[in-house]
Amino acid sequence: MITGTGIVKTFKQRGKVLGAREVMALRGVDFAIPKGGAASFIGESGCGKTTLGRIIAGLETYDAGEIIIGDVTMSSLRPKQRQPHYRKIQLIHQDPYSALNPTRTIHQTLYAPLSLRARQTGRPRSWIEERAAEVLSLVGLDPGTVLARYPHQLSGGMRQRVVIARALTVDPEMLVADEAVSMIDVSLRLGILALLKDLRERLGVSVLFITHDVATARYIGDDGELYVIYRGQVVERGPVDTVIADPVHPYTQSLLSAIPVLHGLERPGEQPVMPLESLDESQSDEGCLFARRCPFRGERCTSERPLLAVTEAAPQQHACFYPERRSVIARPMSEV
Amino acid sequence: MSVLLESSSTSATMRRNFWAGVWRVMKRKPSRMVGVVLVLGFAFMGVFGPMFYPAQLPRDPNLITSPPSAQHWLGTDDQGRDVIALVVTGSRYVLLAALVTALITVVVGTGIGLFSGFKRGRWDTVLMRLTDMKLTIPGLPLLLVLSTVWKFGSPTQMGLVLGLLGWGGVARAVRSQTLSLRERGFIEAARGLGLSTTHIVGKELLPSMAPYIAMNMLIAVTGGVYAQVGLFFLGVLPYESNNWGQMLNTAVFRSGALTVPSGLGFLIGPLLAILLLTLAIVLVVDAMDEIFNPRLREE
Amino acid sequence: MSERSEVTIKQSTAAREAAAPPRKEAPGVRISGLTVVYKTPAGELPAVRDVSLTLEPGSITGIVGESGSGKSTLALSLLNAVQPPGRISTGSVEIDGLGDVVGFRGERLRKARGQHIGYVFQAAQNSLNPLKTVGKQLLDLGRSHGVDDLRGLVREAKELLGRMGLDGARVLDSHQHELSGGMRQRVGIMLALVLNAHLVVLDEPTTALDMITQANILKIVREVHAERGLTTLVITHDIGVVAEVADRLAVMYGGRLVEQGPTRQVLAAPRHPYTRGLIKAIPRLVGDIDEAQALPGRPPTLVTVPKEGCVFRERCALRMDVCDTVDPQARVDEGAYGPRIVACHAVTVKERA
Repeated sequence: MITGTGIVKTFKQRGKVLGAREVMALRGVDFAIPKGGAASFIGESGCGKTTLGRIIAGLETYDAGEIIIGDVTMSSLRPKQRQPHYRKIQLIHQDPYSALNPTRTIHQTLYAPLSLRARQTGRPRSWIEERAAEVLSLVGLDPGTVLARYPHQLSGGMRQRVVIARALTVDPEMLVADEAVSMIDVSLRLGILALLKDLRERLGVSVLFITHDVATARYIGDDGELYVIYRGQVVERGPVDTVIADPVHPYTQSLLSAIPVLHGLERPGEQPVMPLESLDESQSDEGCLFARRCPFRGERCTSERPLLAVTEAAPQQHACFYPERRSVIARPMSEV
Repeated sequence: MSVLLESSSTSATMRRNFWAGVWRVMKRKPSRMVGVVLVLGFAFMGVFGPMFYPAQLPRDPNLITSPPSAQHWLGTDDQGRDVIALVVTGSRYVLLAALVTALITVVVGTGIGLFSGFKRGRWDTVLMRLTDMKLTIPGLPLLLVLSTVWKFGSPTQMGLVLGLLGWGGVARAVRSQTLSLRERGFIEAARGLGLSTTHIVGKELLPSMAPYIAMNMLIAVTGGVYAQVGLFFLGVLPYESNNWGQMLNTAVFRSGALTVPSGLGFLIGPLLAILLLTLAIVLVVDAMDEIFNPRLREE
Repeated sequence: MSERSEVTIKQSTAAREAAAPPRKEAPGVRISGLTVVYKTPAGELPAVRDVSLTLEPGSITGIVGESGSGKSTLALSLLNAVQPPGRISTGSVEIDGLGDVVGFRGERLRKARGQHIGYVFQAAQNSLNPLKTVGKQLLDLGRSHGVDDLRGLVREAKELLGRMGLDGARVLDSHQHELSGGMRQRVGIMLALVLNAHLVVLDEPTTALDMITQANILKIVREVHAERGLTTLVITHDIGVVAEVADRLAVMYGGRLVEQGPTRQVLAAPRHPYTRGLIKAIPRLVGDIDEAQALPGRPPTLVTVPKEGCVFRERCALRMDVCDTVDPQARVDEGAYGPRIVACHAVTVKERA
């Protein structure tokens, strides 16, 4: 179980002339990912989902809030002591091309973390070789052909599998996959997604999926939770299928409306929502963060910030004063 | 089982592959081979050259500052010594000092650059201010001042001083490389996996910068040669042992090689040696990128 | 492409040319037998092999393919802009009102790009000059094409930007880094259209853009296409993008065009096993998630693509012996919404049976 409460992160941007402007990347985010479970963060780029993922993986600091891994509160430990806890959470980078050292073979890449592991647990050297072959087989690669290769000799899909295999060398409890398939050929994407899903089922590794593509998030774990993040705030949170089928926050609805419709196979939703203007980070922080773009904004929205809560409108948590169900997603022709 | 056997011998295989790759890269352009041969030639000259000549080179009082002839291919100096013999025996001091210079430049520069770029924060600020300060010290005037108190009798002393004056640029460059590399996915992954800093710096960062460091090192060798030759040529250092800069100084200021054609060979000898060494290094530097990049090393 | 399909295409073009004289608006494009080769250490290898494709005037055609499928090379051929070590080895690209651009060189080619053909580069690539404002780049473009009325050009640019929901004056005063991805993409579209080109090529118009921005850009592409009377070609790896905007869909694999037809028909009933696999590999928002199936194997590269026989056979579930040796011929079926073309032995066999 990995939980976070009230995570706040601000970035300082260099000011134009005087002083620095602060950008709120995360404005008090709560989350909980059960052991072996799945969760997805969705939102536009710059919404803070990647920053949150990096904070969870221990690669970024945060200004306020708590991260609890298992039952250990991270802030109660000194930086050096946190390391073994954060090691249980492995980040899968978006770019499999920069995630592997081009000057090292796959064997060398896997050997380093495995030999560390062997030293810690007092296992013999032969275990390292066995385990290297094992993790590669787990991700669907043939150790005999892959081990001696350099990254450039592998395709994007194979590289991403190696990256996942490397993460598995430390027996992680959770994989944080940040847009893990966006740079991979389309015909190979589902293979990687299926692998993550499979690892969840076989090894009980929980998966945190960070993406702007809701459908892939659903594929990884339709039993998990979906967090819709907008400008550093979770605006809707609930079981994947509930949020997809019955979104109530206008931002979630705009995200879902924007998914391309496969005309001929699907018919578009009847009430698509289109934001009034495009995302502008410099917009005022007063009131609801989405108010300026929201087609349904009311009077309250510009003065008061709605908080994440469950109302009569929907069973999932949402941060909206005027939640309303709208049919936004495309449905297959066969269903109607 | 075959997998296990294969991977346990991978490191040996890889080493073999590396040298096979280096050979392939060198063969790709004949100019690189020429460069390597020349560099090896200079190394041989520096190490073994002086052994072929007596400690005191024979003087021919009948042939003082003579033009090139069949007997003395590049003529003789003002004491009647063969110029080629002088170039060869004088190479050891120059080359050894240049090598020490390069080693110190690269080791200190890389060390400080790496540390500064990897640690960032307070250390970075302090070290970079130090580097900036060092970079603002004008090298030549300082050397001139130093030479009044220190005679640079041994080449290692010479190299030490030149090296300690020269690492600033390398440190800055390595730091900026480190800063950009440490944001790369594989460095971040290594940190996330809990690998030691030694591993990250030594096995992940350094190899990625190897071509860069190797190039800097080779270029520092030429820099070291120029600096010493310049100092000796200006005559700010007293004559201790024979070397190329000393020869140029004598040729120009004592034998009037710039005005008297008979002293021309005396001038050309050391100049030619410096020129060839620079050329050799430029030709070898050309191959560095391909040698250290496994993708370019192939095909 | 088979001889038969070429004949059909030629016939249909001939019929159209007789009916309507060539206009500046919405040109038709006929690519026939196009092969583009790249020089590699292993000799000259085809990135695009014997591709024939017709862009009907006023239509939006979408080409879908993975990396290495040759889709970008095909798009560049439309401008005769394949860079060495690549070259167009055979085939022609006939554009109404211009002629066969494959023969164009130098000044004539440069004029054709921009004034007749607008090219919008990938959103991910920074195709704008980071050191100059958008306005300066617009003026450079105008001058290099000998536009006398630069004021008119700026007015036109502002109008186009305004049409796409941007503040024209502000955008022209901005540098690249001051614009978001979606804004840059709109600037790219403006620069492609401002010289009044009526054939527009969009290369990966929404890659690296967010969903909402993508939906916005696609809407703009559709609207601008209709309003200005364009012929549009969209190159993408994303079937969803094509499904949203295109009238016709063409699928490329390993340098070959394996299937094409009206978008809705191809999506509803794909015939080539690759097209089927691609559509099946898209995770959906509703229904059984296990319906999505990954395609086995991986796409070929320039070097690994089979020299003879079907390029897809390594990953194909319907592979037969004949696929190893014989290149499948393109079969053309005329339909109410336009021809459907598929190049697959298995499909041919099944329909004969």
